[in-house]
Amino acid sequence: MTTTPSPDTTSPAEPLSPPPPAGRLAALAPRVTLLRVAGGALAVIGALLPWATFVLNEGPYPEKSTLQFFVAPLAVTGFRLHLVVLGLATIVVSLVPAVPAKGRIVRALGWGIIAIAVLNGAYIAVEGGGVGAITAAGGSVAFGSLVALAGGVLAVLGATAAGLEPVPTWTWRLPTWAEWLLLVVVYILLLLVVAAVLTSGGQGGVVNPYAGAVFLSTLGAVGGALGALHASGLLGWVGVVSERHRVYSVIVLLAVALALPLTGAGTEYWMTVAANIGVYAATAIGLNIVVGLAGLLDLGYVAFLGIGAFVAANLSGAAASQVGIELPFPVVMVISAVIAGIFGAIVGSPTLRVRGDYLAIVTLAFGEIFVRSAQNNIGGLTGGANAIPNIPPVSVLGTSFADPITVGPIQLPSGVLYYVLIVLLVAAVMLVFGNLKNSRLGRAWIAIREDEDAARAMGIRTGPIKILAFLIGAMLAGLAGAFFAHKTAVVAYDSFRFLESVTLLAAVILGGMGTIPGAVLGASILFVLPEKLREFSDYRLLLFGIALILIMRFRPQGLVPDRHRRAELAADAPGAPPPLPATAPVQTAAAGGGS
Amino acid sequence: MTAEEQALTSGNTASDDVSAAPVGEVTAALAAAMDHTTGTGTPILEATGVSMVFGGLTALRDVSFALHEGEVIGLIGPNGAGKTTLFNCLTGLYAPTSGTVALRGEPLPQDPARVTEAGIARTFQNIRLFPSMTASENVLVGRHVRMRQGPLSSLLHGPRFRRSEAEAAERTEKLLAFVGLTRFSDELARNLPYGDQRRLEIARALATEPSVLLLDEPTAGMNAQETEATRQLIFAIRDLGVSVVVIEHDTKFIFTLCDRVLVLVQGEMLVEGTPDEVRGDPRVVEAYLGAPPEEVEAQIHGSER
Repeated sequence: MTTTPSPDTTSPAEPLSPPPPAGRLAALAPRVTLLRVAGGALAVIGALLPWATFVLNEGPYPEKSTLQFFVAPLAVTGFRLHLVVLGLATIVVSLVPAVPAKGRIVRALGWGIIAIAVLNGAYIAVEGGGVGAITAAGGSVAFGSLVALAGGVLAVLGATAAGLEPVPTWTWRLPTWAEWLLLVVVYILLLLVVAAVLTSGGQGGVVNPYAGAVFLSTLGAVGGALGALHASGLLGWVGVVSERHRVYSVIVLLAVALALPLTGAGTEYWMTVAANIGVYAATAIGLNIVVGLAGLLDLGYVAFLGIGAFVAANLSGAAASQVGIELPFPVVMVISAVIAGIFGAIVGSPTLRVRGDYLAIVTLAFGEIFVRSAQNNIGGLTGGANAIPNIPPVSVLGTSFADPITVGPIQLPSGVLYYVLIVLLVAAVMLVFGNLKNSRLGRAWIAIREDEDAARAMGIRTGPIKILAFLIGAMLAGLAGAFFAHKTAVVAYDSFRFLESVTLLAAVILGGMGTIPGAVLGASILFVLPEKLREFSDYRLLLFGIALILIMRFRPQGLVPDRHRRAELAADAPGAPPPLPATAPVQTAAAGGGS
Repeated sequence: MTAEEQALTSGNTASDDVSAAPVGEVTAALAAAMDHTTGTGTPILEATGVSMVFGGLTALRDVSFALHEGEVIGLIGPNGAGKTTLFNCLTGLYAPTSGTVALRGEPLPQDPARVTEAGIARTFQNIRLFPSMTASENVLVGRHVRMRQGPLSSLLHGPRFRRSEAEAAERTEKLLAFVGLTRFSDELARNLPYGDQRRLEIARALATEPSVLLLDEPTAGMNAQETEATRQLIFAIRDLGVSVVVIEHDTKFIFTLCDRVLVLVQGEMLVEGTPDEVRGDPRVVEAYLGAPPEEVEAQIHGSER
């Protein structure tokens, strides 16, 4: 499922329907192959050159960046290896005549090269205290980043100069067993890529001062590679194949997701990170019902996660809880979801009278009321500034979920059971979202989002249906909250501030409104980035905000757009219907401009 | 031409003009499914003394009319005469200041959704489709009130869900064929050509299985050919057993389409009668169509008649 709509993350600056290149760019057209090959070659050369003129104060920059050429030219790892791979791929794609859509593929690869060069170069320059760090200083030279950047720019120029071909559509059909095998291989590769991206740079903060740069650079490389695969039409084809074996794909994907602890990400730290991502992914999917489907802007949504968490904390038997009872976790989950749902319905009830901006203010106010009440330890239920600590871990049949477990010869890290639980929970939430979206109720929500008055004229009782959206969204957040309370063992009001609501909303919009992979991807990116960018602590939110603005400017439909939105915003999408006959309105004035 | 004659001739022409699909078959299937008792005489929709006052403005004053089963009524009048206001009163969007509207003798509920449920469907003067949904999804939304599918069923996708979805999909397919939009069923509504958007709106309204269909300027902005296709479509709808009220500025269209025509001027019902009666009525000619050109010219030039 995740592979179906492949995000073309590497080409944000490209207009949606590329105009034929004009002016100076067109003059390069006869020499595109030369440009592309030169770009790839420069990227490879850049990877082999030193990147930093001296050893940075924080410690040597990763991947032996002060290495001199010919000392150990083949010892390239990390971002340098990524560059070599992307550069060689650029050269091969440019020279092999059989490759279709060369321009698009090379453009994606070129953007990947640019991303790696800029990110690492900028990081070294900033840490090194000036441009000298990446050019020449103290008798040593290090032009690696600039050479690679030039290579990337040349590749992108060469790719776009001759105009972009449409993405090819492949219609290969393999025997069923071969397609099943292919899907298993693809999903396992996906798992390995996810694990590699997640763990790249290691744990942020003091342990590894360059974690953020390494992570972002890896993200750029993977984005470039995925963009190239998308441009070649292969990703689209795999998407079609997986759609053909839908149930099978879902099962394999679930199995593959459960296998993450067996990869390099199988340590306690990464299990915790993955579990947190899962909590926010489940919450974001719930929010996606309210915002993405029903079109109701909710700025206080994280409160429902908080309500679920506090309910679970109070029913956990923790010493600080007011209700001195300990219920089994499944029961706690249900109660948390129900109580969050009730609050959802209460918050949703103004939607009968309030629309648009005013509704956003109502939900914003609710979020604030919740945080302030929790801060003031309302009814002694939230612990106020002391929070509710020491929430016991979930345990089933005497096995605590917080302990490491051993299955046969395999040692699994602590927290792996929580990871399994959250994967199942997210899968269940996805199922709820997917089923509802393709039903009478889901269509009614979308109709309300599109035109509320017309929806009413079609017999949709908008009031109850909108409240239902809030109720179901809040219940899903409540479920995630119950998990969150037990996983983190501490529930404090601080985790449910306005900023968290905004981040969740950003995750939904960034990923793509109304889609499941979008919400998961958005939540992953937005909640992994802060972990990785710890060394930027002061500028973290600033960078984050700039990134959001850029993405919204260049990819308004989100990373994994809804099939409808994709059709709206991308005229050159693969399989797009042919342009409709231009029977334009004869007298548009009479139609009042439509709606 | 009388209403009976029109009814006899229209069925075939509709199938020729409206679409390439076998409309005859589709029409028969739809008519069977809609299950309306086709008869004449009993008013299906009746407005009695409807007045609508907005602040100091009287948009409608004491308007009464009756719509009989299987009838097509035209509603004409100059801009601002209160035609759309009357439509809004008939669909539960406005509660009349005084007077009553009754559907099959029952007073109309004060909620558009429940009015639709009761069997009145409408289109809008400015097309109001769900632009980011496909044509077939738009029609499926119209099936909302007739689908037996609760929230739990929506969530669990059990056998009942599949049955209701299959039924709705089948009906949607037939309706799209009926209006001639089969080839656009997976196209976003916003991308449809203008005339087809109007047709899609009609298909969406028909999906609610109405006994009364209110069309607000269905041919606005259409060329002669499209207007003719719309006329045939309305005849075909009438043959399904649906009574139709049409607002339109194009009097030629109205006079060749409708069994009866109501003329609304400044919120009041000026004339009501057959197209021939209305066309010949001097008050209508003066109030709605304006004075005849030679008369105006005569007035301007001050010469005696």
